[in-house]
Amino acid sequence: MDATVKSHFTTKEEHAPAKPLVFWRPTAKTGFVSWLTTVDHKKIGFLYGLFALFFLLVGGAEALLIRLQLMVPNNTLLTAQQYNTMFTMHGTTMIFLAVMPLGAAFFNIIMPLQIGARDVAFPRLNAFSLWTFVAGAIILNVGWFLKDGAPDAGWFGYAPLTTKTYNPTHATDFWVLGLQLLGVASIAAALNFIVTIINLRAPGMTMMRLPVFTWMTLVTSFLIILSFPAITIALLEVMMDRQFGTNFFEVSNGGMPILWQHLFWIFGHPEVYILILPAMGIISEILPTFSRKPLFGYPIVVFSGACIGFLGFTVWSHHMFTTGMGTVATAAFALATMAIAVPTGVKIFNWIGTLWGGHLSMRTPMMFALGFIWMFMIGGFSGVMHAAAPADAQQQDSYFVIAHFHYVLIGGSIFALLAGIHYWFPLIVGRQVSDFWGKLAFWVIFVGFNVTFFPMHFLGLNGMPRRTFTYDGNMGWNTANYIATIGALTLGTGIAIYFIVMVYTFFKGQRAKRDHWDGRTLEWSLPNPPPEYNFAVIPTIHARDAYWYEKHHREQIAQENAEHAKEDEAHGGLHMPFQSIYPLVASTGVLIGAFGACYHKLIVALIGGSVMLIGVYLWSMEGAEGYHIHLDADGNIVEDPHAKH
Amino acid sequence: MRLNSLLSTTARWARAALALAGTVLLTGCDLNFWRMDGHQSTIAVDGPVARSQRDLFYVTCWVTLVIFIIVGSVLAYATIKFRARSSADEHAEPPEQGHGNPMIELGLIGASVLALVIIAIPTLSAIWYTHDVPEADKSNAYDVTATGYQWWFRFDYPNEQIPGSGTLNTSNELVIPAGRPVRIQLRSVDVIHSFWIPKLAGKVDMIPNRGNFLWLKADAPGYYWGQCAEYCGDSHAVMRFRVIALGPKEFNDWLNQQMAPARNVTVAGAAAAKPQFASYRKDFKQNERGWSDRFELNPLDSWRAHQEVDAKGEDAALIQQGRQIFNAKSCVNCHTVRGNDGSGINGPNLTHVGARTTIAGGLLENTPEQVARWLRHPDQVKPGNKMYYGVNKMAGYLKLGDDGFPVRDQNDNYVPNITLTEDDITALVAYISSLK
Repeated sequence: MDATVKSHFTTKEEHAPAKPLVFWRPTAKTGFVSWLTTVDHKKIGFLYGLFALFFLLVGGAEALLIRLQLMVPNNTLLTAQQYNTMFTMHGTTMIFLAVMPLGAAFFNIIMPLQIGARDVAFPRLNAFSLWTFVAGAIILNVGWFLKDGAPDAGWFGYAPLTTKTYNPTHATDFWVLGLQLLGVASIAAALNFIVTIINLRAPGMTMMRLPVFTWMTLVTSFLIILSFPAITIALLEVMMDRQFGTNFFEVSNGGMPILWQHLFWIFGHPEVYILILPAMGIISEILPTFSRKPLFGYPIVVFSGACIGFLGFTVWSHHMFTTGMGTVATAAFALATMAIAVPTGVKIFNWIGTLWGGHLSMRTPMMFALGFIWMFMIGGFSGVMHAAAPADAQQQDSYFVIAHFHYVLIGGSIFALLAGIHYWFPLIVGRQVSDFWGKLAFWVIFVGFNVTFFPMHFLGLNGMPRRTFTYDGNMGWNTANYIATIGALTLGTGIAIYFIVMVYTFFKGQRAKRDHWDGRTLEWSLPNPPPEYNFAVIPTIHARDAYWYEKHHREQIAQENAEHAKEDEAHGGLHMPFQSIYPLVASTGVLIGAFGACYHKLIVALIGGSVMLIGVYLWSMEGAEGYHIHLDADGNIVEDPHAKH
Repeated sequence: MRLNSLLSTTARWARAALALAGTVLLTGCDLNFWRMDGHQSTIAVDGPVARSQRDLFYVTCWVTLVIFIIVGSVLAYATIKFRARSSADEHAEPPEQGHGNPMIELGLIGASVLALVIIAIPTLSAIWYTHDVPEADKSNAYDVTATGYQWWFRFDYPNEQIPGSGTLNTSNELVIPAGRPVRIQLRSVDVIHSFWIPKLAGKVDMIPNRGNFLWLKADAPGYYWGQCAEYCGDSHAVMRFRVIALGPKEFNDWLNQQMAPARNVTVAGAAAAKPQFASYRKDFKQNERGWSDRFELNPLDSWRAHQEVDAKGEDAALIQQGRQIFNAKSCVNCHTVRGNDGSGINGPNLTHVGARTTIAGGLLENTPEQVARWLRHPDQVKPGNKMYYGVNKMAGYLKLGDDGFPVRDQNDNYVPNITLTEDDITALVAYISSLK
């Protein structure tokens, strides 16, 4: 805290009330147990990030194997089944275990800091989301180490390929249960974020002063809670078919496979926006900071983000233009899909408007952000091409589609997430990433990405279908495939450079000064890394770019903060939540139960369910109370009564 | 700055290395991949449906390209014009803190909507055009039913009834009249497949328990490549087929030949030896291509050549022996050779298999060598295929257990059900090749 913002805390004796032994409160602040029992949104977000980056590398390795197999025609590096497993797991891993949790990592770490909150609304639920996500990731990937193998029915799992008739092994059960758990984790996390944003904003932080990233967190969270129930139902139906002989998709008994597609894409299309809206939020933070001026047309950017969220629910059948929907439905979904290009285009216009007249400081996050705009434009334009349904009849399930959505998901989401890691690294870790190595990584990634995916447009238009483990050398696809593989290896090298630099900086990097980039939003007002309690004094917000305002009105803010500090103290100090082991216990129960369900073992499933119920019961019985801390003038904790227990 | 000079030196070196690597890699490569004129091109098309789809693609392409150039130029200009050139620049007084301009926003939204309307109008007209045969042409349309199986296509000709044997059906090679609209009913018996002949029409899915259809027209006689376009399990990548469009007379000749029962080559003299098989390769690698360059040169003429019976080169005794093996080794359970043996429907109809250019679902050229390869190691040609693993509790090369899945012995190896000796294969190849 600035020296001017002195607080006059007095210490007050305080203890947690005596409780039976089962309600033991973990107190470790460092070490393994502290991570397992943490309820601190920054630590949880950090764990989300670590797991996500691990799976990003796993999914990347799968992608490289796919590209190596397709490097030359009639290749035999992978068998058909291995290849099918690779593309299934590549898609599932990248979407559910890499990009989504990486977004969740930013939601967790950054969003509370941007709204001036000390934690999310339900800290223990947050921990439960994290551990349930880990459980889902384990279930999804456990097949690699078992006889049944990993899932190989495609990330989209089109029935009836997922029924027992066509996929008798447990691999598909892993996929079904794994996704189901990830859905639970995502919905719990999304509810948490929504409640946090609605209720825990600092005084003066009106909705139209929320940073755009926080706005996008809110929209994305709504998309999650509205879209995941659809896939939950669909997965449940597959599970019932497989385990209890029901008849939703079993063709020989009259099941309707088209039902799966509708349910899947009612989830699946909003899911696309779940992946891209956080990215747009990050870009909308980075561009103003490095242009040193406010976001151009903030209300329209926010409104178009929300608009994309709404329209995202009206276009699912554009994934199904080839399923024979008939002319009227096809026309309706084609027009709705075109309509969604308007709010998306608006965002791009506004980003360019933000650059216009600014002082663009070309640091690594800015490079990734500009790269994002270019790549996302290309991905967006090929998206418009798909909206023209008859043209899509040729492009659907061809490499043209692969090119399109990798421009959106790598050139879009991943570029933005890599930009975000660079941007917030000095804040979260307190160390400064080398600009030279950051830019080098950017250029290698940028070149590698385009060399990989641009030729795929041509491959698709030349009739190469996706999800094919081999192709003949007489189709005119050889050169483009070869170039794409060279590009993929380059892209892999770029990602390797990026992460080696990050790991090095994490341990050995130069200390970053406070407010490293001359930031505009509230998180930059904090010391780095931010203390456990985030804000020594909850700030009062007067403008949209709250910290920018603060930097230009220091005296007014200092005065307010002093008053707030007194109020805080009158309430007994800063309130902090207790750590808890029970979210982890409940998630472990979920993991055991899901494993039992995969193997159709009722006993194991019941044991898992019981562990979960016990975890939830004890979790609710231990109570939500926390403890108070008091700070001295420099923001150090002067007495932590909690530490005595 | 030291870092900056290091950066620019590195960039120079990187550019040089890239240029060098590029030259090395691409020398000798065919760099014309953007011409997109392959067998499955959606650009170099040969029918009105595919042409309408391609023209619409061009509209979207040009509209978005123009927007891309405009927006991209502004973005590039802003990036270059407003970038900080030095560290002093970066720390200069911040620029004016403007918040936007509603009139510009509204103007751009209006322009975007206008651009989309330009795309939307031809989209709507193409949706209706590509959906079904135009009214004026309906009476002229020819009907076919295509059915997807894991991993091959069956084609029925509902207009061609064979007395006592139902409708004419064939597989993996769809023969259609050129210059006439063809309406294809799409069915599937197992999982979802998708029917795609890029040069003639965009794909429509074959979904079990749901009746779909598409229409197409080939401008002129020709030979077209098609492929399943929806992931359908292990061998999705090798689920291919061909379409042969013929002029009216040739099409009728073909129909007449197909309506006839299978050839039955009877023993006329003493059995000859089987020398022509001795020189065949047996060591095909998995995924190895099954095509000869000669075939590629003129596939339609290759197809025509396949229609001719080469009675002189045939060894009647060997063919008869092949027919017996075809019965004895339970091929007849799944395959039909109408007029000779079998009424199986799990596998392709083989009545006139010798007159097709491809076998194994459009994957291998129909030569004795490739047929032998397919019979010898079907699991290597088409992973997971039903001839090897069995289907509907009917065993193939492998023995099936009560649960309908292949049985394994103590060492976890599959237990065989059918074993073919090299002599068996030779005889079967002779028989199959004779079925013109």
